[in-house]
Amino acid sequence: MSLAAFVLRRLLWAIPVLLLVMLLTFALMRGAGGTPFEPPEGVPGLPAPLQRELTDFYNLDEPWFVEFATYVKNVATLDFGPSLVNRYRSVDDAVEEGFPVTVELILLAALWAVPVGLVLGLFAAVRRGGVLDHLATSAASVLLVVPVFFVTYVLSRYLVYEWDVFPLGWDTWTSKVLPVFALGLAPAGYVARLTRAAAVETLQSDYIRTAWAKGLRRRRVIGLHVLRNSAVPLLSATPPMLALLVTGALFVETAFGVPGVSNEFLNAARAKDYPMILGLTVALTVLVLAVNLVADVLMAILDPRLLEEKA
Amino acid sequence: MSGARRTTAAFLRNRTGLLGAAILLGIVAFCVLVPLISPYDANTADFTAVRETPSGDHWLGTDQYGRDILTRLAAGGRTTLLIAGAALCVILVLGVGYGATSGILGGRVDAAMMRLLDGLLAIPRLPVSIVILVFVGLQAQNIQTVVLALAIVNWMITARLVRGEVVLRKRQEYVRAAQALGAGRAAIARRHIVPNALGIVVVAIFLELPAVILGEAFLAVLGLGPEAPTATWGNIALEGITFGRLWLVFLPSLAIGVLAVAASLFADGLGDSLDPRRWPGRNPRRFPGRRARAPEPKPS
Repeated sequence: MSLAAFVLRRLLWAIPVLLLVMLLTFALMRGAGGTPFEPPEGVPGLPAPLQRELTDFYNLDEPWFVEFATYVKNVATLDFGPSLVNRYRSVDDAVEEGFPVTVELILLAALWAVPVGLVLGLFAAVRRGGVLDHLATSAASVLLVVPVFFVTYVLSRYLVYEWDVFPLGWDTWTSKVLPVFALGLAPAGYVARLTRAAAVETLQSDYIRTAWAKGLRRRRVIGLHVLRNSAVPLLSATPPMLALLVTGALFVETAFGVPGVSNEFLNAARAKDYPMILGLTVALTVLVLAVNLVADVLMAILDPRLLEEKA
Repeated sequence: MSGARRTTAAFLRNRTGLLGAAILLGIVAFCVLVPLISPYDANTADFTAVRETPSGDHWLGTDQYGRDILTRLAAGGRTTLLIAGAALCVILVLGVGYGATSGILGGRVDAAMMRLLDGLLAIPRLPVSIVILVFVGLQAQNIQTVVLALAIVNWMITARLVRGEVVLRKRQEYVRAAQALGAGRAAIARRHIVPNALGIVVVAIFLELPAVILGEAFLAVLGLGPEAPTATWGNIALEGITFGRLWLVFLPSLAIGVLAVAASLFADGLGDSLDPRRWPGRNPRRFPGRRARAPEPKPS
């Protein structure tokens, strides 16, 4: 199978998954009962004409499958519709404003976490069984299990609120330092543990022994042979790694006042703003599926045997 | 079942696995026993002793309502472990059901089910469990809704492990022999595959445990946990964040971290012990872990 066919097939498989996530979210909202227009306590309800307009837009008075089909059609044309709670804001606004920020945050965090994790893991693998290996491996495990809310609490309370070292928000690069740092910690630990496992395996293989025997420099053996052959198992761990980042972003954005989608999502969840929640969930799922697709393609390029196996 | 006995024997020689088991037992004992022994109640406020630092009376101090933190931490551990245990039971049913069905049926069904599983593994877990909680737990947030929300997003790894084990078992000679003797699919599944796949199920459960415990804490910190005054590790951390007490955030985080490390040590140790190549009395040269190490490079 060619690479193009592989990509196409993967793309086609993403569609039922996306529909499933939408259907699940949708079913939960329908199953919750009531109408979307019962305001939560302390919030004034929407005026009647606006309610009519929203009912028309979402086909709320039709049977559930018509409503769902309407929604899928809207999403397919990238029209997520208006919010049910805030009449001056559409879901598209939230996605357009929040998504680039969240994506930037996640990318920057991965940008420092992956290299640091790689170096830490390789370092531990080369010194396998030694004191330094135990130190590096323990450090990686600690990074992985410290709950992200503990890190964000400590960093935001002391460095932002009490000592005033870094500002809140996302406007200047100084304000980006702490969120990016906090978000990358757990992924760095995760990458380090994976790299160590993959590199230990690779280091024992015959071609590495041959490479040493040929008298190749250490930098060339580790950098070229070990790293490249450990790349596939590492890339295959993209989904859990991305999950760490997306989960962490929820806490990091709240703690440091980053205007990404997570705050929007949490507020929408509290206010039961159905279209907003649905839209943001769909957008997040698209992001995750897209990143995983890229990882799959990279893996197939590095190891063409996967084209046959994983198709 | 001599396989189980040999697995146990191999596990008893696995030091890190034993350490994990001991820590897990210690945590469970702490959570069960402390509220029984403690002179304090986990939820009774005492406004004469608010925000105390650790002392002889209150070993870990008191919180903003004067409740003993040690007792609350243990009681919270009980609730958290209860939630985790219940969620793991649901995960077990979903994961084993899905994985075993896929593996036993095989062929195109298996391929389709596994591809669907790939997709499900890719969904953003915490957001989806928040969505579930918000809509299922509309009236009251209680333990059941949290259990449900955690189980629905966390059963996929178990399903994949079980399916892999089933496929592996299906290829083995004793299953082939049973097929040749005319045993039906159901009989083979019941007599040969399920008992042999049990070990991997236990491993899977302990691999999922950290994710479930962390998931509970995450949901609680976002304000979606069981309602106050119920103590869970996540709720205690949330109170620490709300009332600005590092100590209250640190203790449950520490408990969660230690539990996560212990669970993965235990799972790794048990997984190794299930490997027949590591059973005592086998040729040690066949141990994969004892292969000749790559020669250490000379410092240049």
